[in-house]
Amino acid sequence: MKLIRLTKGNFLFQFGKREKHLLTQVLRLYPRIPPATFRLSKSGKLPDAEANQRLLDESLAEQREQNRKTLQAFLADARRFTDTESGSRLSLSPSELEWLLQILNDVRVGSWIILGSPQQGIEFKILNEKTAADFWAMEMSGQFQMRFLEALEKREV
Amino acid sequence: MPHFAVPPEFGIRIPNFLPPPLDNSRYLLYFATMAETATPELTPGTIETTEEKPKSGLEPGYLVVCWNDPVNYMDYVTHVFRVVFRWTRKKAEFHMLQVHEQGKSVLKRDSMEKAEHYVHQLQKYSLHATMERDE
Repeated sequence: MKLIRLTKGNFLFQFGKREKHLLTQVLRLYPRIPPATFRLSKSGKLPDAEANQRLLDESLAEQREQNRKTLQAFLADARRFTDTESGSRLSLSPSELEWLLQILNDVRVGSWIILGSPQQGIEFKILNEKTAADFWAMEMSGQFQMRFLEALEKREV
Repeated sequence: MPHFAVPPEFGIRIPNFLPPPLDNSRYLLYFATMAETATPELTPGTIETTEEKPKSGLEPGYLVVCWNDPVNYMDYVTHVFRVVFRWTRKKAEFHMLQVHEQGKSVLKRDSMEKAEHYVHQLQKYSLHATMERDE
């Protein structure tokens, strides 16, 4: 996967045949972060803490549902990817790219949580047949995320 | 010639020998000729009410904190800080490194509503962010 053209309002990526398949497989895993994972406060010393936490949960759930619908439409849109001899091309606006980063990081963080939130350096100790799929999702979403971040960096240069 | 011009509709003659007036003197003359009864702003029976929000929600006494985790990439965290707070790269990287090296970084001190907004934005990007009362 590489960025082949960058204009003011558009990023054009070239994907290998396998890469396109991998990206869509990773995206189909969304949402991965379990509901009510995030806390509004660590100390809990907030006025109306319970009510505010409930509002946050509802708001994130609503956001997730909206993202899920948008993602379904994104994946179902046959014109999204244009086939070429060597693979396919994907055109994204800056806001779509920003949105995809959120989706990919949900898959990455969600997979990490499913793996038991392992600390850095010890995660491969728990790699086995049972956890391999979650490892794959965590690493693969991270790889795509980094490529998209690199593309955003190039916009600034 | 006088040093200032009086609109002819006022019908006031300004003698030539007067000293140069202040810049606003023609308006003072205008108001001097217009004696009016002041109209009260409140009519009888009207009770002025002002909606007062709880003080705790308005005071900038809440901290937006980002906590370290081993899963979010450093570049990603920097990017999110830049998008959410519209910070420069330098400032975003400073806070990202603080999260990475010290376990957490206080990103903002703001009112409760704004702190909630920022926490929500950061959590939309799946960052481990919370708000805490500044004690």
